[in-house]
Amino acid sequence: MCLDDQILNTYLDGELEEPFRSQVEEHMSYCSACRDRYKKLKNLKLMVEASVISDSEIETRKANVLRMIENTCFSKKKPSFFKRQLRINLPAFATVAAAFVFVFVGSIVYINRETNQFIPPNVENTIDENNVNLVNSKTVKTIDDYSLEEILDSLDKRGYTVDLKIKGVAPVTFE
Amino acid sequence: MELRSSDEAAFRQVYDQVFPVIMKVAFHVTYNLDVSEDICQDAFIRFFDKNMVFETMDDAKFWLIRVTKNLAINQIKRKARETASIEKLKQVTPTSSYKDGASQLLFQESTESVRKAVAQLSEKYKTVIVLKEYAGLDYKQISKILNISESNVKVRVHRARKELEVLLGREDA
Repeated sequence: MCLDDQILNTYLDGELEEPFRSQVEEHMSYCSACRDRYKKLKNLKLMVEASVISDSEIETRKANVLRMIENTCFSKKKPSFFKRQLRINLPAFATVAAAFVFVFVGSIVYINRETNQFIPPNVENTIDENNVNLVNSKTVKTIDDYSLEEILDSLDKRGYTVDLKIKGVAPVTFE
Repeated sequence: MELRSSDEAAFRQVYDQVFPVIMKVAFHVTYNLDVSEDICQDAFIRFFDKNMVFETMDDAKFWLIRVTKNLAINQIKRKARETASIEKLKQVTPTSSYKDGASQLLFQESTESVRKAVAQLSEKYKTVIVLKEYAGLDYKQISKILNISESNVKVRVHRARKELEVLLGREDA
């Protein structure tokens, strides 16, 4: 039985494994039809291979492309290590920086608001008798309700040494 | 040996070895030198920008061949919509090492007819023939690049040659 084209093509490409390779060679040693067919296939392959683009064309284009790449890629990325590092970290860095600025500025605004005395505090409750202690309603005694003598007596009982100086002050007169 | 595609020294090493192969692939798919140059440039810029690590030179080579093949196929599909791509062949001047005028003429004729025939192959067969005959890859390497089985490559090579034979025979007649 003669060899088919697929086997011959595989043999031609050097991809036919043993023991088939030896069998093909043996067959072709006595079968001129297969030998001729093999020659034709080989010629076709050689003809196709011969139409390859020339080395000189390749070299010209190779130089052109390399020049372009040197101008765009290499010059751009010369300090590649540092740049790469920076590029990877940049979004994270920008986020942290933005967050920091946000918190910093926010806290200043907040603190200012807390301490700014010109801004009146919010009064939520209406003013009525429940949250207003009238000065003359004697429910809670303040220091004004005690006489000087009572205060001194109270301090003396608690063991304080009281040094009292009385200074004469001219009465304030209104014109 | 690891190769980082964005490392200049590694890049130059890969470029030096692989450029001729991918130029052949791009050219024999598109049959246009300027377009092929652009495709190769595009492939290598992608290679550089992707900043990939390849275990071996072959891995880098296969990646580049795959990208180039895809770019070239896309290009001819685009081109086919615009003009008949066979016409472009006439602009390509084949060069040869033949000194003798008559044999040079013969060589040019056969080169031109082979290129026309290859250009007429369907995408499936053209790809394997280009990778086999021009890029010089074996079945195993082609199967890796095209992501098909080795026996499938074998069948495609055989069928592509059969078609080429018919196309070239038709031209001779």
